[in-house]
Amino acid sequence: MPPQVFRLILLTVAIVGSYVIARQLLTPPSFRQYGFYRGEALAEHASHTPVFAGRKACLECHEDIQKKLFKDAHKTIGCETCHGPSSAHCADPDSAAKKPDKKNTTACLRCHEANPSRPVTQKQINVKNHYSSQKCAECHMPHQPNEVP
Amino acid sequence: MALDVTNVVVEALPRFEGYVYPNESGTHPLWGFLIVLYPYITGLVAGAFIMASLVRVFRVKPLEPVYRLSLLTALAFMLCATLPLLFHLGHPERSFQIMITPHLTSPMAIFGFVYAWYLMAVLLLELWFDYREDFVVWSQKTSGIPGIIYRAFTLGVTDISEKAIALDLKLGWIISIVGIPSAFLLHGYVGFIFGSIKANPWWGNVLMPIIFILSAMVSGIALCVFNYMFLTWVRRRKLDMRCLDVMGMYLFYALVIDFTVEALDWIHRVYSAEEGFHVIEYMAKEKLFYTLSIGQVLVGTLIPLVLLGSLQIIRKYVSDAARKRIYFTCASCILVGVFAMRWNVVMGGQFFSKSLRGVMSYKLEFAGAEGWLMGLVLLSLPFIILTVMIKLFLSERLPTTGHVPHRVDDAVSEI
Repeated sequence: MPPQVFRLILLTVAIVGSYVIARQLLTPPSFRQYGFYRGEALAEHASHTPVFAGRKACLECHEDIQKKLFKDAHKTIGCETCHGPSSAHCADPDSAAKKPDKKNTTACLRCHEANPSRPVTQKQINVKNHYSSQKCAECHMPHQPNEVP
Repeated sequence: MALDVTNVVVEALPRFEGYVYPNESGTHPLWGFLIVLYPYITGLVAGAFIMASLVRVFRVKPLEPVYRLSLLTALAFMLCATLPLLFHLGHPERSFQIMITPHLTSPMAIFGFVYAWYLMAVLLLELWFDYREDFVVWSQKTSGIPGIIYRAFTLGVTDISEKAIALDLKLGWIISIVGIPSAFLLHGYVGFIFGSIKANPWWGNVLMPIIFILSAMVSGIALCVFNYMFLTWVRRRKLDMRCLDVMGMYLFYALVIDFTVEALDWIHRVYSAEEGFHVIEYMAKEKLFYTLSIGQVLVGTLIPLVLLGSLQIIRKYVSDAARKRIYFTCASCILVGVFAMRWNVVMGGQFFSKSLRGVMSYKLEFAGAEGWLMGLVLLSLPFIILTVMIKLFLSERLPTTGHVPHRVDDAVSEI
């Protein structure tokens, strides 16, 4: 066998062998435990600290607001849908930095920005023409959207 | 502060037009700027290799001065072809797992096999057989780190007898023949990935792999013209005008075929006018006007087509200096145009709603993982690698055995 061909075969065996060894060493042990993914990934995800506290946690301190909310159009919407994740705030209620945002315009636009594909019963505005320099909460009451401030 | 400007931002950039599903209206495209780079770089690899094959397989002798440069260009870009994909995954600590545990039903995992085949079994082998004799000679004459590199690349084989060199040429020739369909496979497969997404009328098209292959050839040859002219200018050497004219000729032929097939694609789309046609028409006229009509069609196709086509007819009446400028301009225009084509394919397919009755907006950011700064870095990387390779393997100070592919016939007959 010509020497260059022999060396190439040796090199190929070395590369394929290295790949097989690397595959053995680097494949996570729990891979294929349940399916084509790391079985440990499930436990890892479950071990993450939740960033959402849930409505019950909000209710513990803000029952007065919830009472108003439950009587109006936004009653089915969770607090954190508009205010964002609040578990940090629940753990440390006095910290000003961890308090949820009270005037989150983006949250309003998520549902009320004009879009012909939304249900016609859902109130919609065209941001360009609807008091674009002001915040929604300056004129509207998000917890009682049918009331006038 | 961020909240204060929220409305202003929304006003400056409407997020959608027409009928767009709520879950589509506020989201960024799943595939960003990095995924535009992926088919662009892969296409340059395939095209540069085809350029080299013109010399080795089709024996186009005037192109010999750019043979090795084309192969090194293909290798430099090949080494960076998967980086945009791995960066896009966003988890550098585990992105290698796609190579360790490839899923055989995943199109991207299969691309890994196509990539590995092309890199290991085609490109590196062809380069090794082509350079082996030089490696042996250089390793004996060079010291220091370059000497160590040359010695390592000989793989310990120092036999440069006539018989051994004849075998190198024969094997290199066989690999080059295998390499042509492999290069088509490499980039045709990228086109296949897009073309097989049948739910998207912008992508789902049987012509997509062919369009990708042809545009790859065009961009690869243009890159070789660009690199050859730039390298010659840096080295203050005289350009081989015969070589440049032949490259220009092949660039023109490739461009004519590419233009014809892309035009056929559009004629078919216009004539069949399927349900998604209205949104496609709107995209071409409005949303992608600058990148499609100006970038891809005018700058990337029509201007080079007219300039290169004119040169095929009146070449002997045009001075060398003017031809050089025209070739450089055409190569640059084509590189920009093919990039615009990749942008139009990747981003265009994500700009319209699944309702086919509305379009979304996208603003390319400067910074961030999908920003154009990152793209610029990734696009610069193959040029940096190529510079190092040119220093090592195309150095003017090193004697080259200069065995050229037209010796293959003799080599084959000797064995």
